[in-house]
Amino acid sequence: MMAVATVSRPRWLSVVGLLGVVAVAGTVWLGLWITPPDVTQGNLARLLYIHPPLATVALYWAGSVAAAGSLLYLWPRTRSLFWDRLAAAAVEVGAVFSALTLITGSLWGRPAWGAWWTWDARLTSTALLLLLELGYLALRRVPADVAVRARRCAVAALLVAVDVPIVHFSVDWWQTLHQTGTVLDPGFHLHVHGSMAWTLLLGFIAFSLIFVWLLGVRYRIEVLQDMVGDQELEVSLVERWSEGTELAGVGSAGRGRPGGETP
Amino acid sequence: MTDLSTGSTPTATRASTGVPGGPALPMLRDRHRGRLWLVGAVLIAAFVFLLIEGLGSSLNYFDTVDQAFAHRGSLGTTTFRLEGNVVPGTIRSTSVGANFSISEGDHVVRVVNTGSPPQLFQSGIPVVLVGHFTSTTSDDFASNSILVKHSANYIARYPTRVTAKNGSVR
Repeated sequence: MMAVATVSRPRWLSVVGLLGVVAVAGTVWLGLWITPPDVTQGNLARLLYIHPPLATVALYWAGSVAAAGSLLYLWPRTRSLFWDRLAAAAVEVGAVFSALTLITGSLWGRPAWGAWWTWDARLTSTALLLLLELGYLALRRVPADVAVRARRCAVAALLVAVDVPIVHFSVDWWQTLHQTGTVLDPGFHLHVHGSMAWTLLLGFIAFSLIFVWLLGVRYRIEVLQDMVGDQELEVSLVERWSEGTELAGVGSAGRGRPGGETP
Repeated sequence: MTDLSTGSTPTATRASTGVPGGPALPMLRDRHRGRLWLVGAVLIAAFVFLLIEGLGSSLNYFDTVDQAFAHRGSLGTTTFRLEGNVVPGTIRSTSVGANFSISEGDHVVRVVNTGSPPQLFQSGIPVVLVGHFTSTTSDDFASNSILVKHSANYIARYPTRVTAKNGSVR
């Protein structure tokens, strides 16, 4: 019977997850009940506490971890499956956050802009980011040797990372319907005021904690998947080996019999 | 049990190290890998260059009023997106939509819009209009879509409002 693969779950990860959930609940409470409506957008501005933090995680945190992990895997001196798995986990969690960014942006865009979607540079490059991340995940599921898969995926993650600065600078490089930098402009001037700024800061912390938690959980699943794959391979080899031994036994028995098969 | 920090397993480690080749093979493999890296780097550089330089102008979502006036002759009556600030006091509701003016600097464009303006449409804010100039010489713009381009400023609507001890807001 095949042994069940297990991986120890660090306690700090559960603590981070719990803190993340509490912080998200706090953000929702402050965002919906405590902060004032915006002078121009009214209650629509309450999406401010969700949408930019989601985008920050999708773009900067997930993008950085995936790019750094892939570079460290490709660098011969630091090559380890740890970096490959970490990058894979970051891309998968990043894809979830990219999708949530696009969904919340669309929900905000309809009443604020007057359109669910439009093909400006910021929205298009963000949609491209999600597509590239999904492409990475598809590539990861192509059957291949572990080392070959890791190398392919590392290169693919670096291609995904090329889109990250394009998304970030799209509102500065081109004229877009999307607003410029939400929290700080290129001159590092804050544009969000009072309790709205503090709630937004809590939103950033909350979704960053959720990202770290999901990253850890997804990394653990990646390790377990590889372990199950290894165990299945070993079981298959043992079965094939035993089949060969049985056939060899039958063959030698046949040769030992009078009138048996001749070589 | 496997350590979560490394997650290494015997098969995985074996697979990652690869199979050593003969004396000549590693050299060929390194040269091949080097070429692949070079091709990859050139492709990425070309992708970024094309995106920024080649497609740069076409990725602009709209023309500002000043830009539209700068190449007014070539625009003619073609449909494009025009951005400008709604001039305060110029909004007039009509049976089919709204008439108003948008401006940038000294340039003012009179807009005849058909269709319902979006929820946040108001004086003094930047909007993006989809439409065309009514003639090659006119400054009147016929639009059928208004998109509000809100700023990145978030300011409390009632900054001096306080909450009383009984919970009511004044």
